[in-house]
Amino acid sequence: MLGKSPWKMAVGATAIALLAAGCGSGDSEESTATSNTVSIGIAEPQHLIPTNTTESNGAEVLASLFYPLVDFNEQNEPVEVAAESITPDKTNTTWTVKLKPGFTFHNGEPVIAQNYVDAWNYGAYGPNGQGGSYFFSSIAGYADLQSKDPDGEEGPQKAPDPKAKKLTGLKAVDDSTIEIKLAAPFASFKSVLGYTVFYPLPKAAFSADGVLAEGFEDAIIGNGPFKMKGTWQHDAQIQVEKVADFKGQVPKIDGITWKIYQEDSAQYADLVAGNLDVQTQIPIESLASASADLGDRFQKSPNSTFQFVGFPTFQKEFSDVRVRQAISMAINRQEITDQVFLGSQTPATSFVSPVVAGYRENTCGDNCKYDPAKAKELYTAAKGPAELKITYNADGPHKAWVDATCNQIKAALGVNCTGVGEPKFADLLTKVEKKEPVGLIRLGWIMDYPLMENYLGPLYSTEGSSNYYGYSNADFDRLVEEGRSAATPEEAIAKWQQAEDILAKEMPVIPLRNAQNVFGYSENVTNVSVDLFQKVNLYEIERTS
Amino acid sequence: MSDMNSVTAAEAPEKLSAQPRRGKSDKNRSLAGDAWNDLRKSKIFWFAVVLVAAVLLMAAWPSLFTSADPNECALNRKHAGPSGGAIFGYDFQGCDVYARTIYGARNSIIVGIASTALAGIIGIIFGLSSGYFGGAVDAVLSRIIDIMLSIPFLLAGIVLSRRLSSDPNDNGLLAVILTLGLLTWTSSARVMRSAVIASKSQDYVAAGRMLGAGPGRLMFRHILPNSIASFIVVLTILLGVNIGVEATLSFLGVGLKGDAISWGIAISEGTGFARVASGPLVWPAVFLGLTVLAFIMLGDAIRDAFDPKLR
Repeated sequence: MLGKSPWKMAVGATAIALLAAGCGSGDSEESTATSNTVSIGIAEPQHLIPTNTTESNGAEVLASLFYPLVDFNEQNEPVEVAAESITPDKTNTTWTVKLKPGFTFHNGEPVIAQNYVDAWNYGAYGPNGQGGSYFFSSIAGYADLQSKDPDGEEGPQKAPDPKAKKLTGLKAVDDSTIEIKLAAPFASFKSVLGYTVFYPLPKAAFSADGVLAEGFEDAIIGNGPFKMKGTWQHDAQIQVEKVADFKGQVPKIDGITWKIYQEDSAQYADLVAGNLDVQTQIPIESLASASADLGDRFQKSPNSTFQFVGFPTFQKEFSDVRVRQAISMAINRQEITDQVFLGSQTPATSFVSPVVAGYRENTCGDNCKYDPAKAKELYTAAKGPAELKITYNADGPHKAWVDATCNQIKAALGVNCTGVGEPKFADLLTKVEKKEPVGLIRLGWIMDYPLMENYLGPLYSTEGSSNYYGYSNADFDRLVEEGRSAATPEEAIAKWQQAEDILAKEMPVIPLRNAQNVFGYSENVTNVSVDLFQKVNLYEIERTS
Repeated sequence: MSDMNSVTAAEAPEKLSAQPRRGKSDKNRSLAGDAWNDLRKSKIFWFAVVLVAAVLLMAAWPSLFTSADPNECALNRKHAGPSGGAIFGYDFQGCDVYARTIYGARNSIIVGIASTALAGIIGIIFGLSSGYFGGAVDAVLSRIIDIMLSIPFLLAGIVLSRRLSSDPNDNGLLAVILTLGLLTWTSSARVMRSAVIASKSQDYVAAGRMLGAGPGRLMFRHILPNSIASFIVVLTILLGVNIGVEATLSFLGVGLKGDAISWGIAISEGTGFARVASGPLVWPAVFLGLTVLAFIMLGDAIRDAFDPKLR
């Protein structure tokens, strides 16, 4: 009797382990098999308030719930969608947005200009702490909505209330006209309006003027082709269903289940088993077998992802530029793209993606060339830290290449390097925002709008929305700003290229790879395409039967 | 049941003459002495001992088995076949699978021994006090054991080890030890309790009590030594089981992590590429299986030798 129970226990534990590993979330409602809905895998979004959503999972979900002002055609030019027209004045400073009539929010409210103004004011108001606040900084009056904490975030004093609560540059002229006054001319502002943070919010979103209603984030009301079915079931799923007689482009499916996975290998297992319809990023360990598993349902398409690691420049041990150069030179990018990604990604030698205008090859120069001897020399001279770690989010396909990168760094520099997995991307970002010592940070950037500026401003300017590493360079900020105010796209690109050259000298981040979409889908769906933003085209996807 | 019985039954005529001789030569033979006599003849015991010794050696001096550095990995050897010292080939990161498997023994053994020791200490405290004092103490402590037993093990393990090592920077060793120790002590406590109840009513305990021995002296000098045998057997088996469970937790990503080398992690990582290269999955699994088997067989053999009911 004694001898038996531990045996049972061991066998039982293994059985449960296998179950837990094999069926990540195979227990979703089976009704999806019969109705005209599809399921798409994501990781847990950090936020779902549009002005706070700067990561790709939340943005993907929001793309189903909202209808943007502009979308992009194949040439990456902005085309009006929810907007009738978007016209600048002669100096590109004042932009007039005319809305298409007839659109309503999911709760029946008509979409009016004031909804956009309210949402943007909320996003721009500093004390609301919205991650996408940066994107409103080009609008006049933005500075008055911010206030600086007198003794830093950690100090006991609270930041004073900002001078104003509303952007002076925003005005709802009438129900269908928004007038946007920019602080400085910005010739490509129309492209910016296509980004997630520029979605409108209904009156129901606010409990008082400028105060978001409790629980709104879990039951978002948008103006898009799909509406929430129930609420956001954290770490499980988000269900959306088709809006009856939607005025814009009507999708061919009746609903989407955004299935949330903690592990992409579980997501892949579900995809192969037919429990999931679309996975937008096939995990590394399955790349070799994916064509066998999925046949021609395993596909590739270009996207705008730029993979890099950031240095917390606020930490002393990384303040010496030679340390940053040395680590960059210690990485053999070609070997990683060949061996780990089986050629599905390409080594990055610049700070912007090849898909945007203004891209130049090899702006990073020698700093991105694999040169272990020089790396070691620089590192020793600069007395770089003996312990390095690269923090990544374990809910994305990063462990394999982070470990491989660490091994290369170890071999080249003779230091110890470990990859540290944070369970969720949202946790990682939160830690980084609090400036906890996480070491090097694995980051990726999918563009928000197809401009070279999008790879520079948000990532490296002092107030940038995704400047997690605390990089600050006045010259860089000025050049990005000058590029935005330039009269023509060509002049703008020239300025931005100068800004990129500063990055190449200072190396606040290490460019690693340019990715493409490597996606797969089940036999239940067809017409699946994934765009430059790594989003599934929700208007074209169809069920087969 | 054991071979001794069959021998005596078959050679019944000799039994009478043999009996006194044996009694004379082994006058002071104790329970342990009898058990050792049994064990010496058990093939299973020796098989288990050899395996356990090998694993312990591996854990203590891995460099005896391999001269390769388990952390020296190069991507250009990805999934390369066996060569030179790397007789098991290389894994996805180009690390020597043989070296990593050898070095992985240490964490398994540390976790196994430490968590079993912790479980044993808790088990002794609970079993001894509930068995000795009886009554209300027994009722309360036994219900606590029941409650612990009713918690689904893996669920509790995942929750507990996640909570105990929320910092992704440590390698999770302490958390795994605590998790396993705190969740697996119940069976040893129950065995202890029943053994204590059995020996409590023995004459020598009554004698000790009459001579004025206090509960502490009675418990630790008289009852404990006489009820520890089956308890040790349970712990030996538990040790094997805990090693297996550590690998399970590590496989699920809530056990050891970071740069820790562990069979569970190796199996977990190997699983993804099982269809491309099976070595990185199979070898740590074989070592894990043999180690768990060795400890459980050892426990089983000792149990057979010690348990008077099975003689």
